Amino acid sequence: MSDPVIVIENLSFRYPGADSDVLRNVNLTIERGDFVAIVGGNGAAKTTLCKTFNGLIPHYWSGEFAGIVTVDGVDTYTSSVSELSTRVGYVYQDFQNQLVRPTVRDDVAFGPINFGRTSYRDDSDAALDSLGISGLADRHVWQLSGGQAHLTALAGALALKPEVIIVDEPVAELDPARAEEIYERLTELNRDHGVTVITIEHHAEFVARYARSVVLMAHGSPVWHLPVDDALRRTDELEMHGIPAPQAVQLVRGLGMDAAPRTPADAAALLADRPIAPDAVVPTAADVAPGRVVAEARGVTHGYKAVGGGITRVLDDLNTTLRSGERIALVGGNGAGKSTLLKLLAGIIVARDGEVTIDGRSTRAVSAREMSSTAAYLAQHPQLMFLKGSVRDDIALFPRSRRMPDAEGIVDRVIDRVELHALAHRDGRTLSGGQQRRATLSIGLAMRPKLLLLDEPTSSLDTRSRDDVTTMLAELADSIECTVVATHDMQLVAEWASRVLVLEGGRIIADVAPRDLFSDIALWRRVGLRPPQISLLGRELGLDPVPLSVAELFDAYDACGARTTAEVA
Amino acid sequence: MARVHHDVLSVEWVKLELIRTAYATRGGLFASMDPRAVVVWYIGLAIVPWFTHNITVLAGLFAIGVISIILARVGPLILGLFVLGMGMEVVYMSVAAWLFGGNVDTLIALAALNLKLGVVALASMAAFVSLDPEKLSDALIAFRAPQMLAFGVSYGYRMLPILIEEFSTVFEGYRLRTAPPPKRGLLGWRVGAQWAQMVVLSFYPIFLNTAKSVRTTVEALETRGFTHAGADASGRRIRMAKLRIRPRDVIVVVVTAIAVVLVFAAGAAWPLYR
Repeated sequence: MSDPVIVIENLSFRYPGADSDVLRNVNLTIERGDFVAIVGGNGAAKTTLCKTFNGLIPHYWSGEFAGIVTVDGVDTYTSSVSELSTRVGYVYQDFQNQLVRPTVRDDVAFGPINFGRTSYRDDSDAALDSLGISGLADRHVWQLSGGQAHLTALAGALALKPEVIIVDEPVAELDPARAEEIYERLTELNRDHGVTVITIEHHAEFVARYARSVVLMAHGSPVWHLPVDDALRRTDELEMHGIPAPQAVQLVRGLGMDAAPRTPADAAALLADRPIAPDAVVPTAADVAPGRVVAEARGVTHGYKAVGGGITRVLDDLNTTLRSGERIALVGGNGAGKSTLLKLLAGIIVARDGEVTIDGRSTRAVSAREMSSTAAYLAQHPQLMFLKGSVRDDIALFPRSRRMPDAEGIVDRVIDRVELHALAHRDGRTLSGGQQRRATLSIGLAMRPKLLLLDEPTSSLDTRSRDDVTTMLAELADSIECTVVATHDMQLVAEWASRVLVLEGGRIIADVAPRDLFSDIALWRRVGLRPPQISLLGRELGLDPVPLSVAELFDAYDACGARTTAEVA
Repeated sequence: MARVHHDVLSVEWVKLELIRTAYATRGGLFASMDPRAVVVWYIGLAIVPWFTHNITVLAGLFAIGVISIILARVGPLILGLFVLGMGMEVVYMSVAAWLFGGNVDTLIALAALNLKLGVVALASMAAFVSLDPEKLSDALIAFRAPQMLAFGVSYGYRMLPILIEEFSTVFEGYRLRTAPPPKRGLLGWRVGAQWAQMVVLSFYPIFLNTAKSVRTTVEALETRGFTHAGADASGRRIRMAKLRIRPRDVIVVVVTAIAVVLVFAAGAAWPLYR
């Protein structure tokens, strides 16, 4: 029986001062207890749509509002944000800014206390408990990792016991393993507590695995609202709106099957009647052999003072050598010391003990400012790298200040290279996530370093911008001798890296090729990594070595097919 | 000169010290008290010195202040800044008095003023080092301060560590991406001037980033019933229900009051430059 929790009829909305409607004649019904994924390209008004559910539109953003939105039987137009907020919880994309109190317990209780609920203590404890983060209650919000902060924001919304929870792009600011945890929790809430969950999502993999129905938005109105299985079959349509199908779906459909497997295991089951030899994947030959030594770490030990006194050890007697021609991925869990190692390798900080040598010079003998022309470090948050009023000035800051001969020429070439012409005059902060990454990459390139160190260059990017950055990194090989990337993004590791350093407990526990990492289930489980879907599928199919890309597995099937045809003939 | 890692007097240290101070992580006598009692205690000690010119009394109050900051476990950064500030003040006052033809009387008068400011400063350190943001905002609400002020204080504390973190990243960016001055200048003044310039410039990106992120915060406040709480008193009642005046609070305030009375008595018995 139909029991809609949200009903939208002929809704149109225009932001004050805008020339055209953001939402155009939207008609949509969301059933109680559903798990809905709202997908669509940038500017499809997904977030705007969700803000009509809790009354932020039209009460906080007062624009031209037409149509009727009914939430849990209440007409939002005659209601208020406060009243609707107890029915609809909202977790923002930049959820860090949603936490307003210093400690977790206090932040979660903030809503219930404001609404004068005497049960606030039980409510917030129950919310913390249902998300499995009771242990964090006394932490300060600035001590939390990204995943913990997201769960705290979610708990803050849950403490008001809403009927509907909206989560705006959980994957954007979290690494895939954390995002998966968020989705598991949302699934529990949906299944065990009957909460209606609405997520805005770019990543088809998550949609496939967790959602029950999918709304595709384009140009301010829904194109369709379909059960997830039907939605995933429309790969071309999704691709057109900037949502490439999950790797497993790409493969299965590429092999001519009309199916949309939701997980690698499902895909393997579908492929059961297509035998493939265990050694069918032929790794492409390794490119150029590593050359001269670019940087070297010997016996590096480092740690930070903690708030309570004492030293938290981050790196422990670490040794490694980086050579020219290498594309190195640095992987490991949160707090494994990836950023610290990058900063040491850039000579920005010096270790408590041990020696780092860059291009033959010890970092203890050369100041950080001098070393920056040999080793460039790009921080994790791009917006903190925009110091000037325009992208061009930011790129030019280093060459101009160092009085490099032909500074303007360098800047022009970098802008050419990264194709930033259209954006060069804009303030970096106003760009989209993918554009910001490209801009910071150009800042690094204009420093013309031998060693380029990047901290999480693909985090918080949608699939398409992510692919752009990966491609660009691959193209840099000729101008940078050695690139090191600290990352959680295993697809980047699979497609780009030539060598992976696995960091855990302050040491490098493995120094392997990407394929070996994804073949070694004990290793990736130990450090909490999540291989790309295609490698997981390869493992399900019993392949060794595992494939690193959809194309590799295609080729493997092709080769098998060719072989069987030949045998028949 | 070889570079080594520093644990003290580094940016990281300043950040840790500020956090320890703001969040009262060192514990201490006042940290375990009811915030209202701490505020009352503080106001008392901050007002008293202005009612006397007697150096004996002021020195006694100063001693009470010193004992309080020991009990409050004030950290080295704040203490160091206080001592430096007081020291500079004394030197500057003496030089000024000497230049403008003052005599010992002038110095005594200035010392009295310095002692008063010192007492207020000591009491402030002891009180605010011991109040974490939650307690402070609860105390403000208890004294019927506007809700916006109470929230602002606690929100400021929440943002502090994040802003310091951002500042150090931005400053580091400036440092690495601009060239050091070609000549150091006398006593390295050019280097100093460039650092000062970079410190100022580093605020610009941070302001813009903060302005951007605050948009979400304001919307989130709306959805979490902040305006509702302004119109409705039940939220305030819940917050106040958490506060309890215990014997220890009364004892601390009474003991301090007695000590102040004794100091005034001592001042009457042995007055100095009244």
